[in-house]
Order: sequence, then C-alpha cells, then structure tokens
Amino acid sequence: MYKIKSLLILLILPLFAFIAVHKYYVSVTQIDYIKEKKSVQITSRIFIDDFEKLLRERYDQSITLAKDQDEKQIDLYIEKYLKSKLKININNKPVNLVFIGKEYEDDIMNCYLEIENISEITSFEVVNEVLFDMFKEQKNIVRTFINSKHKSFVLIPEKDKGMLNF
Amino acid sequence: MFVSVGVFAQDEEKAPEKKQGHTNNNKFKQLYDEFSTPNMFRSASGAPGPAYYQQQADYKMDVELDDDNAKLSGNETITYTNNSPDALKYLWVQLDQNMRAKDSKTPLIEGGGIAPAQQASTFANDYMTEPFDGGFNIESVKDDSGKALPHMINRTMMRVELPKALESGDKFSFSIKWWYNINDHVNGRGRSGYEYFPEDGNRAYVIAQFYPRMAVYSDIEGWQNSQFWGRDEFALPFGNFEVNITVPADHILDGTGKLTNRKDVFSKEMMKRFEQAQKSYDKPVVIVTQAEAEAAEKSKSTSKKTWKLYAENVRDFGFATSRKFIWDMMAVKIGGKNIMAVSLYPKEGNPLWEEWSTKAVASTLKSYSRMTFDYPYHKAISVHAKNQGMEYPMICWNYGRPDKEGNYSDRTKFGMMSVIIHEVGHNFFPMIVNSDERQWTWMDEGLNTFVQYVAEQDFGKWYPNALSEGQTSYPSRRGPAEKIVNYMGGDQDYIAPIMTKGLNTYQFGNNAYGKPGTALNILRETVMGEELFDYAFREYAHRWMFKHPTPEDFFRTMEDASAFDLDWFWRGWFYTTDYVDIGVKEVKKFYVSKEPTAEVKKMAEARGMKLSDLPPLVFMVEEGSEDYKEEMKNGTLLDNSPSLKEYVMDNFTPEERAAMKEPKYFYNVTFEKPGGLVMPIIVEYTYSDGTSKTETYPAQIWRLNDKEVSKSVASDKEIVGITVDPKLETADVDTSNNSWPKEVKQSDFDKFKNEVKN
Repeated sequence: MYKIKSLLILLILPLFAFIAVHKYYVSVTQIDYIKEKKSVQITSRIFIDDFEKLLRERYDQSITLAKDQDEKQIDLYIEKYLKSKLKININNKPVNLVFIGKEYEDDIMNCYLEIENISEITSFEVVNEVLFDMFKEQKNIVRTFINSKHKSFVLIPEKDKGMLNF
Repeated sequence: MFVSVGVFAQDEEKAPEKKQGHTNNNKFKQLYDEFSTPNMFRSASGAPGPAYYQQQADYKMDVELDDDNAKLSGNETITYTNNSPDALKYLWVQLDQNMRAKDSKTPLIEGGGIAPAQQASTFANDYMTEPFDGGFNIESVKDDSGKALPHMINRTMMRVELPKALESGDKFSFSIKWWYNINDHVNGRGRSGYEYFPEDGNRAYVIAQFYPRMAVYSDIEGWQNSQFWGRDEFALPFGNFEVNITVPADHILDGTGKLTNRKDVFSKEMMKRFEQAQKSYDKPVVIVTQAEAEAAEKSKSTSKKTWKLYAENVRDFGFATSRKFIWDMMAVKIGGKNIMAVSLYPKEGNPLWEEWSTKAVASTLKSYSRMTFDYPYHKAISVHAKNQGMEYPMICWNYGRPDKEGNYSDRTKFGMMSVIIHEVGHNFFPMIVNSDERQWTWMDEGLNTFVQYVAEQDFGKWYPNALSEGQTSYPSRRGPAEKIVNYMGGDQDYIAPIMTKGLNTYQFGNNAYGKPGTALNILRETVMGEELFDYAFREYAHRWMFKHPTPEDFFRTMEDASAFDLDWFWRGWFYTTDYVDIGVKEVKKFYVSKEPTAEVKKMAEARGMKLSDLPPLVFMVEEGSEDYKEEMKNGTLLDNSPSLKEYVMDNFTPEERAAMKEPKYFYNVTFEKPGGLVMPIIVEYTYSDGTSKTETYPAQIWRLNDKEVSKSVASDKEIVGITVDPKLETADVDTSNNSWPKEVKQSDFDKFKNEVKN
C-alpha cells in the first residue's frame, strides 16, 4: 500500500474507519539562537498536504500549495496562521515573529521566521499549536539550540508549551 | 550516620576501577545471534532448502454485487493442499472485513485523548453516531458433502475444525457462504470499497479482501494468524482462482486473472479495439471511450452480466467494477511475451489518466523485469481511485485526480505516476516474491520502494515529456540518500528499527518504505556497486519467486551471491536506529628529514639505545613542530633523507628508479565518526593545482576503532582541501564536520533569507 495522508477522514469519519491508512501527523520546528546576529532563526517543516487542507478549510477552498500559484496571497495566509499558532516569549516577554517566506521540498513545506534584536536570552517559552485545529493526533516537535544547548520538545494539544530557563 | 561513614570509607579505599569484561560488541560481528539456524527448509545460502514446502489454496467463487444496496455476497469453495510434513487438526481462515465490524477492536488500540477543539462533524461521528455496519456475515461453512463444519471466529480469524486431521500431502475441500456491506473507501478510508459520485449517482468499486482467505501455514510461523488491525497488510498462500462475478449489465469490470468469457461481455466494437490494443506498443488503445462511459453513467441497467476470470498461481484476487469506467490498454513485450498494460478510470481522472496511466504501467513492467525476473502474468491493471494506492495480483488502484476543470499540479501528476509505478511494482514484491506483510512491512514496501526509484528514473528517461519544465530527471521522493537524512537524524523517541513489526512502528512511511528503500539504493550505488548488487538482488528474486521468503533469506542471498560480507550493513541499517555521521577531525602535514626528531630520540633513550645504534630510518617531521625547519619543504624526498637514498640506490636499478614515485607531501588525516553506523569513508582530496581525487576506504576501516581512524596519505601535490562524502551519498546527518579546512557553511536559514532579499 502506498502511504498517503488521510486528512478528510479525520473530519468526517468515525475513528475505526480511517485506521487502515493511519498517518503520522507531525511537524518539526528548529529554533536556533545566533547571538552574534542577535537573531532567533525558526524553520518549521510541515507536510504540504496537511497545510493545504488547513488553508482550504480556514481561508479559501481554491488554494493549492504548489509552485507558480498566487504566492503573495498564500504567503499572507501562511503568515497570519503561523503567527497566531506559534507563540514565543523571550525573557518573559512576547516577541514578534517576522515571516521571511516558505519553500517546497518534496512533500514538505519549509517556513522561515525570524525574531530580531535579541541580545540575550535568559528564558525561552514556545507554544506551537500549528495544525492542532485540524488533526487531534498532531504532534509538533520543537528543537531548540540556544546558548549552545540542545533541547527538544514534543508538543501535543494537551501540552502545547515548552519552557527553557538559562 | 553509620551508612554514610561506611560509604565514605569505601570510596577512600577504592582502587582505580578496572574495566569489566564484555561480550563481542564489534559492529562487524556476524549475525549469528539474530538469525535462526539454517535448516532443511531454509538453507544457509539464503535459498529454499531441500525440504522447503508451501501450502496451496485453490478457490472457486461465485460473487454477486448488489449495486443498489452496496452489498457483496459470495459462495466459495476452497481446496486446501497440505504440503507440510505436519498433520493439521484445523485450518485458519482470514476474515479481514471484520476489521470494519461494529465490534472491531481496531479503534480501541488508538490512543490520543481528547482534543481541545474538534470539527463538529468529527465530534458527531466520534461520539454521537452508530459505527458503519461492516464485517463478514458468515452464512455457512460446509464440507464438500454439505455437512456443516464447526468453526470459531476470533475477530479477523476463523478456525475451521476438520472432521479428521489433514495428513501431509492430503487435500481438503470446504465451502463458505458470506456477504457484507461494502464501505465507502473515500470517506471511510480503506483499501477496498466504493467511491460515490453524487453528480451522477453512481459508484466505482475497487474490491479486495472481499472473501474469506486462507492463512499461511509455514515452517517459520506455523499458522500466521496474527490479527488484522487495519494497517499491516497480508500473508497469503498461492493458488488458482476461478471466479465468476455478477454485476449490473452496464458495468465494465476487470480483475485478477484471464477473462474466459470475453465474447459474452464485450461488444463487437470492444472486441475490435481489443485486437488493436494487442498490437499497439507505443500508445494505449481505448476499449471503452469517455463518451461511452458518460453515456452509461446516465442510466442504470436492471439486468445482470457475469464476468468469468481464471488465474493461476496468484496469492490473492481483486477486481474493479463500475458503469463509469473508461478502459484503455496497450501491449508491452517482456522476455518475448506480450503483456497487456491496462487502465480503468472514471472521467474524473482525465485528462491525466488517459495520458499517463497505461504508459506508466508498461514502463514499470519493463524496469522491474530487468531488476528481477520477466513479469510472469499476462496483464497489469491500474485503476483510478480517489485517494488511495493499493496493490493486488495483476491489479492495483491509484490516486491522482485533477480538479473539476481538469487542471493538476506537479504534485498531483508525479504523485499519480509514482503511485502507479509503486503499486504495479508490488506485483513483484509481495505478489510473486511472497513475503509476510503482516510481520515485515519493509520486505515488500522497502524492496518495492527501492525498485520504484530505479523505475521512476527509467520512466523519466523513456518519457522525457512526462517531466515538467526545467527538470532533467524524474523527481523521486524516495531513494536518494539525502532524502532520508531528516528522518534518520531526527528524534530517536520516534524512530523504530526497520526490523520491527509494521503495526508497531512510528513514522510508518519513513520506517517501512523510505529507509529500507534508501538503504538498498545506498548499498547498490555506494557500497557494493551496481553489478554486484544487481546480480545478487536478481538472484534473491529468482530464488523466492512464487515462494515465501523471510528477511534472513534476503540478507543471506545478497551475501551468498556477491562475496560481500554485509552483516555490518544489515545490523546497522536494519536492526538499529543508528545514523551516519562521519567527518574529518584533524589533518597534520609531515616532511621527511635526515635528523631524528625529539620524539625518536626520546624513544631511543627509553630503550637504552644510542642514536648511532639505530638502523637506517626515514624520519617524519610535523609541520610547525619544534623539529620542523622551513628548508624541509625544499629539495626532493631522496635529498632530504640520505638513508632512504642509499636504500633505493642499493636495491633498485636505474631504470626502476626512474619509474619510482616521489611523493613530497605527507599527511596524517584523522576521521571521526560521531554516528553509530559504520560506512565506507568516501573522501575527495583537492590539490593545489585544482585537480582532485576521490578515495573510498571500505567500512571495515572502522573494525578496530568505532570512534576515529587515521590514514597516512602521501602525495606529490599539496592537498588544499579534504571533503568526506562529497556527493552526499551516505545519508550523513551532519555535514558540518565533513570538510577540511572547516568550511563555514551558510545555514539553510541564511541561504533562504539571502535569496528572498535578492
């Protein structure tokens, strides 16, 4: 059997029915603090079909995530959505995420975001609720590399926040 | 109080700890502990042994579709031949449809908890509605005299009691009468079922696991009666199938086996087109046109038609039927035989399907036949289903649907081509090389994903106009090493070894398809080379064609046919979740000298020798060390080492001396291996004149030290750069340590940001 991701099912069907092609709902977000640049660099890797489904459901049924589409409008939607679902506090203060852009890589979309002008990090808090509104099995893995320390969180709807103190 | 004093005293007295002994944990240790002992059933070479046996199950079935009620009923007679040496008291029959029964336990093993918010429809379906009334209704189980046979159903498995034990070599015939409600495979997800088209009120059926099927009895599992939970696929014996399927008279049907009553079900026009198709090798001939299919959609026939199919030596049977189907075929020559490549699709699949489906089928048969054996069946069918890909002997269903206006993205197009190549490829693994899917998903999915990659690349070459603008080769999602890096370098909590039962793996797709497929591609292209690999891989396919192989049969055959010890590769890639990370740790440059270095002097002193006692030696001085002098860079090798010169003059003729190499630069290169997997070290040396040379040190270089190794490299040209795995062919998860001098690589983030800025 070829593995495709079953999205619809989750919305329409009783649990037993979609087990046959049960998919792994996961995104991976890498967060690196580059002190010399006073920059926090965020790269989120999200399955294209999951995200397309979400954008269609939320904003516009005609959206197709593929090259040569109406990139500007789609980018606006992506930015709006990511900023509302990916929330970061640094040194106990909410910070602004700048959406730099996205690119497609096979069946995955890489989204790039940046937090600027961070000269020091003493505490870091991340909430990642991306796709929780679509898939209840969604897991968002967040990996951080801050102040030379690696840390990894698995965020799920029941526990959507990761905390780090330095 | 006492205790703490005691502990303290003990610590004080403790001598420096001496390491305890250990068992053999060398990564090149042979797999004797993991493998079972070879026996008469399965040989140490990986071939079937002299006492190898397999059971046979032959089926005669009459099946009828009730299109109005989406209900399927049938009566089947199974003739079971016991080729095992054992007497069997009972038989196990698989009732896969019961996974969809109201009392199915499948939903009960899914965790997840309560979501903070849910779509109203999901919520209603999860908590407020009755589940679908699926599952087999077994009306009777009888022996050939019509006497009821006692039987017991444990979820998806039915035990049928025999009147007396079935002795080795004997046959037993019995019949089962059944029916079930067909599920909606689009909204309910499933590998079998119907898609309903509200616009015209018709259904397209793709039907499989539709009859009670014999379980496998073998030398390794006894009865393979592990329950069907819904994800891990099937284990089935071979047999012959005689199946009569009655459907509405306006349906078009195709399935496993030869159509034996073509004249009864084909119109004259269809017959004529079929004759043409058998001679068309470059493009498909349409047997039922879109206009004809669209006309058929508009009404529903109340009369019936029976399609008769006969298949020999298949492990399963599937079919597709609908009045919506367009049908096309073309011929492809494999090993001198004509095979038909066939597609069935509703108009919703066009224009994509009429253009590419049948060509992809034909191309796949050619590629897989080259990599394994000539395709032994007479046809291969690709049926369009909305959003699933699933395989059965001679027939498979595939996704890839344009939007309502007929537009499609590259993702849809290549998704469709790839899934067709993949599912048609499954004819080879596991339909013919019949591994146990219930236990080992990777044995069919992994091997198939590997050959799929080869076939996709062929397809891109043979049909360049299938590619999109700017593409020079087929954009395979899986196969190339760098595509598995994110998975293998990812969170270890969500990775299972490939050698894990399919049901219990995380990231099913990467675990059972991506990683084994990529591992075999790396084995072929980087470790063994295509010639050695391809011979051994073909040997495995030939040995186990129409038989039941195990993982060990595969591992053993690959070594047996190539003289390539691969235990280290199987152990690392298949039995662990280790990853590849190899780098250059340090590079030191040396020159020869006539003067002993401080180190040599010290060594001599320690042994009580005077310098004059030393035999003629060539001394090596590290650049920058206290013994190093700038002039060592000048002069030839022989000028700088009189003892070497004398030795050469004494032992070689002038002609021989003229032909001698005279390296000038000497390097001590230290490679490190932070990753757990052992792999060959592929190194590219770049010289000051701009040329470069690639050297491959076999994996065995790590046999005595798993962490780091040093190589001495002599060169007549100065080395200015060293790169490990320059072509990214080993799935190295961290390439930041792969070069000397250390390259400060721009991160992907910075690269993207700069691109956006420009």
